[in-house]
Amino acid sequence: MSTLTAENINYKEELKRKTSKPLIWIGIVSIIMFFGGLTSAVIVSQGGGGFLAIEMPFAFTISTFIIVASSLSFHFGLISVKKGNYSAAKLSIIITLIFGLLFVVTQYMGWTFLHDNGYYAAGKESTQESSFLYLLTGLHVVHLIGGLFSLLVVLVKTMKNKYSLENLTGMQVSITYWHFLGALWIYLFLFLRFIIA
Amino acid sequence: MSTHHHHAKDFLFTYVFSTDHKMISKQFLITGFLMGFIGLIMSTLFRLQLGWPGESFQMVELLMGSWQENGVMSPDKYLALVTMHGTIMVFFLLTAGLSGTFSNLLIPLQIGARDMASGFLNMLSYWFFFVSSVIMLISLFVEGGSASAGWTIYPPLSALPQAIPGSGAGMTLWLVSMSIFIVSSLLGSLNYIVTIFNLRTKGMSMTRLPLTIWAFLLTAVLGVLSFPVLLSAALLLVFDRSFGTSFYLSDIYIGGQVLEHSGGSPILFEHLFWFLGHPEVYIVLLPALGITSEIISTMSRKPIFGYRAMIGSMMAIGFLSFIVWGHHMFLTGMNPFLGSVFTFTTLLIAIPSAVKVFNYLTTLWKGNIVFTPATLFSVGLVSTFISGGVTGLVLGNSALDINVHDTYFVIGHFHIVMGLSAIFGMFAGVYHWFPKLFGRMMNNKLGNLHFWFTIVCAYGVFFPMHFLGFAGVPRRYYTNSEFPMFDEMININEFISIFAIVAMIAQLIFFFNFVYSALRGPKAPMNPWKANSLEWTTPVEHFHGNWYGEIPTVYRWPYDYSKVDSNGDYIYGEDFIPQTTPLGENEKDGGEH
Repeated sequence: MSTLTAENINYKEELKRKTSKPLIWIGIVSIIMFFGGLTSAVIVSQGGGGFLAIEMPFAFTISTFIIVASSLSFHFGLISVKKGNYSAAKLSIIITLIFGLLFVVTQYMGWTFLHDNGYYAAGKESTQESSFLYLLTGLHVVHLIGGLFSLLVVLVKTMKNKYSLENLTGMQVSITYWHFLGALWIYLFLFLRFIIA
Repeated sequence: MSTHHHHAKDFLFTYVFSTDHKMISKQFLITGFLMGFIGLIMSTLFRLQLGWPGESFQMVELLMGSWQENGVMSPDKYLALVTMHGTIMVFFLLTAGLSGTFSNLLIPLQIGARDMASGFLNMLSYWFFFVSSVIMLISLFVEGGSASAGWTIYPPLSALPQAIPGSGAGMTLWLVSMSIFIVSSLLGSLNYIVTIFNLRTKGMSMTRLPLTIWAFLLTAVLGVLSFPVLLSAALLLVFDRSFGTSFYLSDIYIGGQVLEHSGGSPILFEHLFWFLGHPEVYIVLLPALGITSEIISTMSRKPIFGYRAMIGSMMAIGFLSFIVWGHHMFLTGMNPFLGSVFTFTTLLIAIPSAVKVFNYLTTLWKGNIVFTPATLFSVGLVSTFISGGVTGLVLGNSALDINVHDTYFVIGHFHIVMGLSAIFGMFAGVYHWFPKLFGRMMNNKLGNLHFWFTIVCAYGVFFPMHFLGFAGVPRRYYTNSEFPMFDEMININEFISIFAIVAMIAQLIFFFNFVYSALRGPKAPMNPWKANSLEWTTPVEHFHGNWYGEIPTVYRWPYDYSKVDSNGDYIYGEDFIPQTTPLGENEKDGGEH
């Protein structure tokens, strides 16, 4: 009877294998709709009276290169696990984590630049366009922090050699989300560059 | 000590933090109904004010205390109740209560799965819902009272804490509660979609799925696509309220004081809100339509007419629901050409809706109908879907809508087409699947009584509202006594309020039947309605995993009722053929063609 209940280990493993990736993909769809709603709001607001151009911080351009590099290093980590090269995998994931943190730092530098140049997020001197700029980039960072947590989990599991060719689901879910965060940033960067900046 | 601890732990994980979809379904049902009952009482209270404006109800004062000083409701409490009634009914009863209950109960049971894709996320979904319900109720008691800007919480009333009493802490809690609610809804929807796509039993192709499952799937898809947009709208509102941004606020004075906001537009909120708001109508309605399809076919002892057309029309309704939001905004200064585009897309919805109604009626036609309370409520849904849908044609047309916009005509329309249809579907579902939920049967006589009182009172409440609307009586007003032209309408309002009070009392029949039957009702057999779908092959007693032994294989669609051979005799000797019965020689599967 041990194979017959939902508590069974084999059942749980199979369930995880079958459902983890679709769960993250549909989660990604809902995040796309969330940012879709916000960027549509920018377009609707802009139609109301036109936006003043904002000088885009150079730090955001650096962010773009960093997040692309982080996606590549994470992918290299996955390939390394598949090849059984765990030391390379560990190194790649640590590098990805560092890139992730650097991304947050460059975002902060971007916000500081904006603030120093008189573009405020809120209050009397803020404008709609500057508020949107902070909001969209800030919310992306919030989502990225979730990605950093998942990276930490992947790192710990890699350190413990938990992943193998047969057991990669957790890492694949994390990498899917991380690649998505990169794509989302590129979309936001181009959107902000051409709509607001 | 350890045994006691073990029992306590068992209790906690069986009844409180359960990951079993059946228990979570019951949790959604009971929480949803409790919220619905509170929403119902609210409506009765403000109907007292509308039916007999300014009159003192001393008895109500006993119940409501300072809310009803000298027995008369104050205008700000009236606005608070109207807002909370709408919010609770739309989101807490008819979104989470309806979809949460039946998606959770039926998806694993009808597709042949041991549980949802993620029991943990499912549990979280319920507890987020519970917390958001509690916060919404707490907001009634904070300083200034609950949110009062209507369930659509349009800015600037909702964006400026100093605007009206309910714009303060109550509005903040409304936003907190709804944000948590949205997370709950998203977690639920994620689970439903992944479960349906990935965990179907052997043989359960998409064209062998019961229409309930198709309805829950499409509802979840609508939820995943539209609720995040409401979250973005709410977030911008939070920033405008609390951090001094101006997304929705332009140059504005309040109490002679100039505020610092500039450049925003409240119309932006309407766009974002209704991009969710219209699909939300179908998030509420589709599960009820799915439930009705299942019950009408089972209880007519006939295959559902136009199975594929039913799926196609639900898909069409779902798609169209995303391109019609402008019909809520015809009076916002919209370009008339754009208005005509939204009119066109809105009126298109009549086509798939009519297909569904036609199929319900043709399924019932010449059926060997078994009249249970579930059948009655399902047929009741068909009635309200038609009568409410017809007035939708008036409101969907910009030229006509302008005349009755924001009047009681709108209230009559959406309460019938969305409110009544959805709650009828929910009642039908509870009566039909009560044996699966609690292992006992409900009392049919009390159920029938509940139906007849409810449908008569419901039409008594909402039908006359159309006449109020034609006369121009505006919605949301505390009283119309300042307008002499509405004096002659007071009798209609009194009439409506009497029906509302009787309708509320009639629901007590249901609550008694529900509670009594759950505890003392006769034990249910395994398949009381002689139905085909998989949930009736599970044992009556609940355990995590649903089936002892292997999950059954499916060989046919679920609508093989009254199937006869060339001699006119029932194949297999019964008027129903469960999905687990292999196809005979030369027998065709109904879902495949």
